[in-house]
Amino acid sequence: MITLYPKRLFKVPVEAECICPDVFAEKSAKEIATLQIWEGNRKRTLGDLFKIKHETDSPTEEFTIRICGDVSKVRKIGAKMSMGNIIVEGDADMHLGEEMKGGIITVTGNADSWTGSMMKNGTIEIKGNAGDYIGASYRGSTQGMSGGKIIIHGNAGYEVGCFMRKGLIKVHGDIGRFAGIHMRDGTIFIQGNSEGRAGAQMINGKIVVCGYIPSILPTFTIDDIRPKVKVNEENVEGPFYRFVGDLADGGDGKLFVSKTKNPHLSSYEEYL
Amino acid sequence: MTVVTGVTCPVCGTFCDDIELVVKDNVITDVRNACAMGAAKFLNYSTHRNLRPLVRKNGELVEASIDEAVKRAAEILVDATYPILYGWSNTSCEAIRVGVELTEEVGGVIDNTSTVCHGPSVLSIQDVGIASCTLGQLRHRADLIFYWASNPWSAHPRHIERYTMFSEGRFQKSAWRGYLSRLGGIMSRKRLRRAANLVLRRDVFATPEVERRLPYSMFQKKRKMVVVDVRNTRTAEAADYFLQVEPNKDYELLQAFRMLIRDEELDVSEVAGVPVEILEEVADVMVGCELGILFFGVGLTMSEGKLRNVDAALNLTRDLNSHTKFLIMPMRGHFNVTGADVVFAWQTGYPYAIDFSHGYPRYNPGETSVIDILCRDEADASLIIASDPVAHFPQKAAQNLVKKPLIAIDPEVTPTTLMADVVFPSAFVGIEAHGTAYRMDHVPLPLKKIVEPPKTCLPDTEILQRILHKVRKLRREQN
Amino acid sequence: MDIAIKDGKIVEKVDEKKAEVVDASRMIVMPGGVDIHCHIAGAEVNSGRILRPEDHFKDVEAKTALTRSGVGYSIPSTFTTGYRYSRMGYTTVMNPSMPPLEARHTHEELDDTPMVDKATYPLLGDWWFVLEHLRDGLLEECAAHVAWMMSATKGYAIKIVNPGGLEAWGFGRNVKNLDDPVRYFNITPREILRGLCRVNKLLNMPHTIHVHTNNLGQPGNYLTTLETMKCVEDLAEEGHPAIHITHCQFSAFKGSDWGTMSSGAEEIAKYVNHHSHVTLDMGQVIFTDTTTMTADGPFQYGLYQLSGNKWVNHDVETETSAGIVPFRYKRKSAVHATQWSIALELALLIKDPWKIYMTTDHPNGGPFTAYPHIIAWLMSGVARKKTMSKISKRARRKSLLPSIARELGFYEIAIVTRAGQAKALGLKQKGHLGVGADADVAVYDINPELVDPSKKYKTARRAFKRAAYTIKGGEIVVKDGQIVRPVFGKTFWVDVKTSLPIEVNDDIKRKFREYWTVEYENYPIPDRFLHVPAPIPVKAEV
Repeated sequence: MITLYPKRLFKVPVEAECICPDVFAEKSAKEIATLQIWEGNRKRTLGDLFKIKHETDSPTEEFTIRICGDVSKVRKIGAKMSMGNIIVEGDADMHLGEEMKGGIITVTGNADSWTGSMMKNGTIEIKGNAGDYIGASYRGSTQGMSGGKIIIHGNAGYEVGCFMRKGLIKVHGDIGRFAGIHMRDGTIFIQGNSEGRAGAQMINGKIVVCGYIPSILPTFTIDDIRPKVKVNEENVEGPFYRFVGDLADGGDGKLFVSKTKNPHLSSYEEYL
Repeated sequence: MTVVTGVTCPVCGTFCDDIELVVKDNVITDVRNACAMGAAKFLNYSTHRNLRPLVRKNGELVEASIDEAVKRAAEILVDATYPILYGWSNTSCEAIRVGVELTEEVGGVIDNTSTVCHGPSVLSIQDVGIASCTLGQLRHRADLIFYWASNPWSAHPRHIERYTMFSEGRFQKSAWRGYLSRLGGIMSRKRLRRAANLVLRRDVFATPEVERRLPYSMFQKKRKMVVVDVRNTRTAEAADYFLQVEPNKDYELLQAFRMLIRDEELDVSEVAGVPVEILEEVADVMVGCELGILFFGVGLTMSEGKLRNVDAALNLTRDLNSHTKFLIMPMRGHFNVTGADVVFAWQTGYPYAIDFSHGYPRYNPGETSVIDILCRDEADASLIIASDPVAHFPQKAAQNLVKKPLIAIDPEVTPTTLMADVVFPSAFVGIEAHGTAYRMDHVPLPLKKIVEPPKTCLPDTEILQRILHKVRKLRREQN
Repeated sequence: MDIAIKDGKIVEKVDEKKAEVVDASRMIVMPGGVDIHCHIAGAEVNSGRILRPEDHFKDVEAKTALTRSGVGYSIPSTFTTGYRYSRMGYTTVMNPSMPPLEARHTHEELDDTPMVDKATYPLLGDWWFVLEHLRDGLLEECAAHVAWMMSATKGYAIKIVNPGGLEAWGFGRNVKNLDDPVRYFNITPREILRGLCRVNKLLNMPHTIHVHTNNLGQPGNYLTTLETMKCVEDLAEEGHPAIHITHCQFSAFKGSDWGTMSSGAEEIAKYVNHHSHVTLDMGQVIFTDTTTMTADGPFQYGLYQLSGNKWVNHDVETETSAGIVPFRYKRKSAVHATQWSIALELALLIKDPWKIYMTTDHPNGGPFTAYPHIIAWLMSGVARKKTMSKISKRARRKSLLPSIARELGFYEIAIVTRAGQAKALGLKQKGHLGVGADADVAVYDINPELVDPSKKYKTARRAFKRAAYTIKGGEIVVKDGQIVRPVFGKTFWVDVKTSLPIEVNDDIKRKFREYWTVEYENYPIPDRFLHVPAPIPVKAEV
């Protein structure tokens, strides 16, 4: 196991795509220290900014990178990784696990925006909160997250799962507006409340809101009341209103909203 | 005394090019054809200005030579590890071209004022595309004009007269006569109402809360104007129909229109405070027009939903093209904000928020846009040109901006120049310096030099070139 | 054999002791490449750049001590465009589609496109002045206005896109065939084409009319293309071309719908082989993700409906329109694979290489950086077979390529990539290495005496990808595929002298105000606006 300790507090953005098990594997601590990273517009080596320690007591068999200290200005940790583990003890900055293909990233603190954007497989678990555009696509592209799992124990921001195509995003806390915007497929499971406009312009896929949602978009139509809903292998007890939309885009996405937490939506029942 | 004709007006995105100026002894003495904003600028532009470069020494801004100011500015930029270079929408494309080169040289982030106005529109255009045109196309052909969340009567005063309702085109005639008669009607109603109130001591003409039908003129085969806004405006008064939307509900309204155009039924009786019957009638008018245009303003891009409001609007107009011709255009504010986007894009591939810190352009608004960078306090120096972020940015961003070394290039005295460490007073582009700028519909037009600037006020282009030259020299010395 | 260069020109001889010597033995030496049709600058290209961050973000070029940074793939930024052309040995590129009202924009971008000489064609086929003058039979007045427009926009050739269709697109309509009159103007596409062809001749323009046909991109359109070529047959002088059909592949579809779509290359090749008044360029399709952009608004809207991709439309008052749709050509799509085949069939079935030139209609068929691949397909049946084995079965069954044995040699490649293009453009000092020519030279590291490109097509492809040397105006600008000296290129424009130039009076100014939303005096671009203007004086017959 390799452990990285930031040598100082970073002020300008640091971009460290090389902090990735695929890059570290089979390299000595010395070689790892020479890997190139960016601090603002200056080229640095990983050794300039981090103390690198090779530790033998790995918690798992898999190749593991542990980061201890404040990396809340370090971007692209674990980008494009395909195997192994990364454990961030603290907060991580944007683009965590971008285009990830496999392996596990665990963050004990918060993660910023674009976590898991364009990811294809693997798992990202955030113990704290996450920013906007989780599992999203790059600007202008329709290729959002296409597989894997993102689990957020805290709250998540706006436009989570933008252009998502497959996989699961699970948020234990609350979620911002436009969850699942332009979603093509996959599942977003929100245990807390939604700020609204969930499923906007979705074409397909499933969004489950267990908490309160202020309103449903007028472009969704009510379809059914379901006692429970299946999220991956898990059965979530309802009852849930099931809406279909976004009809403005000819979509057939399913939006499940808790019946008990949303009595203000009972007027929809007359359309059933 | 000379009269200069065909002058472009360096104020708003309408960028009128028919201004006539009377010049006497290097002073503009009279302005013809311009609106109040344009005339005010041409006549009063030089009342508050610095005449010499300033450099902060021991906490005080003191006058300095241009060379000294250039040297100080270059040092700041060369030392910085993540500088931002912001503004650009009120200067010429020629200056912007040098600006991009300078940003690339110092490995900084360049951003223009789109970031605080139509940046979200750009993000949505990148998701959806945009069906647009030049303004003359609308003058000749548009018979249905929407102004959505914008108020051109006040913000782009000659827009309606030059390009839309009151302009005379080949296939569509000006609708000013209809407006005059409607105005007459409104005025007499107001007078009658006042008289009735006085006599009867109660409001007899109080309009019912929501009209359930569109006015008759909306069904006539002639040019029509519809305003959608959260409040009544001067533009709304001039319109054939004013659709009042609940604040922050534009997204729902736009999406509902899209659904109606697809012949889907709504499960609700009203959307954004508007009864569905009304929406259905408006949707019919949209589908039935010869050529429709939807102009949208910052009311759409900066209210709740931001880029997604525009997303829905772009999609709405795109969908309408399967029935008729329908176009859409953002109402750009500054006279050359379009030009800033355009120049950035041809040199870097991206229209705003471009990060050169790795030696090549990268783009991700939210990450590389200046307000976000400043709110996260990541920049360690900045150059501001032709803009006043200290006055206009969110408080936290402005605070972080002035904390670090700050270079300001501006012809005027602004809160930003007062807080800066190096100040370059520049020539007013379009009055004292020439160049090129782009109208809101991407039509490039020349900016003219009418009068000579004060000797110590150089054009933006030259100031930037000098800084770039000095930066290169310093970097060569460092290596 | 030695080539002597002095002051940017090829000369008889130079003092060998003083001259710098480039050793090109065992290499191929050609004139610098000339591209007759590639969208590299201007309003529509730039809208494409703005539209597609996802196209650029993985293909970047960092700043170096000599070069500017930029982004690439299908719509590269301006600097990168210049560098990438130069690295392939190209020295002259033609930007084919400029809305006259936005000419200033095109030229600003061309000025920022280094390393190559360039020119741009104003779109004139749907300009109201042209429509009205031709309708009223006022050919000479029309010519005078076109001459004025060349000078006002600093243009090089008359570009016609979907004649009549773009005006109709102003109200969301199109024209169906050459004899479908344009609403409100009472003129047909045939009359526009014939009229402008005659205007072109009256003005003695160096290039012919440059035509993007009606019905482009629609099954069955090869008939329209044949009609288009035929309609100016009688206007041609013996042996002189009168019309250039650009990106002909997109106009050579047979069939009645997408299910029955097949190649019309054979019929078009047959016609071209029997007539001398037509030149063509290929518009080769590359299997990749690219961005389509043309002035053909209705075609682009159709492509949006077909693909569901994002769509940009930009109509320009009084003049033209434009559209952009990102597009991916897939090997396994029968239609796309047929398109790939059509362009190669055209290039191989048309016997005379001076009549058909290599293009991708960058970026419509694919980015220009794919040219080395097309060279390999043209030179090697093996290369074609290799790609054929990977394409849609249905397209493979219908393709004519397996029946074509022809393989182009290096001389023919030199014709289809530079000499022929320069000749068609009337650029007398380009496309050859004779005394007096511009010293634009490309040296490719491949020995034609040892390498058989038919078998070793990969070697040829590699060589054409990275020029060993590119010499531009007598200066070595690229060495081993690297930029060693950044240079500006010239911008050519045709300065037509007519005996009766249009008189700028109050009448024309008023008409201007009626037609456009800009003042007359702000419309023309002054010569000094261009970085390195290179006017070509031409004396007109009117």
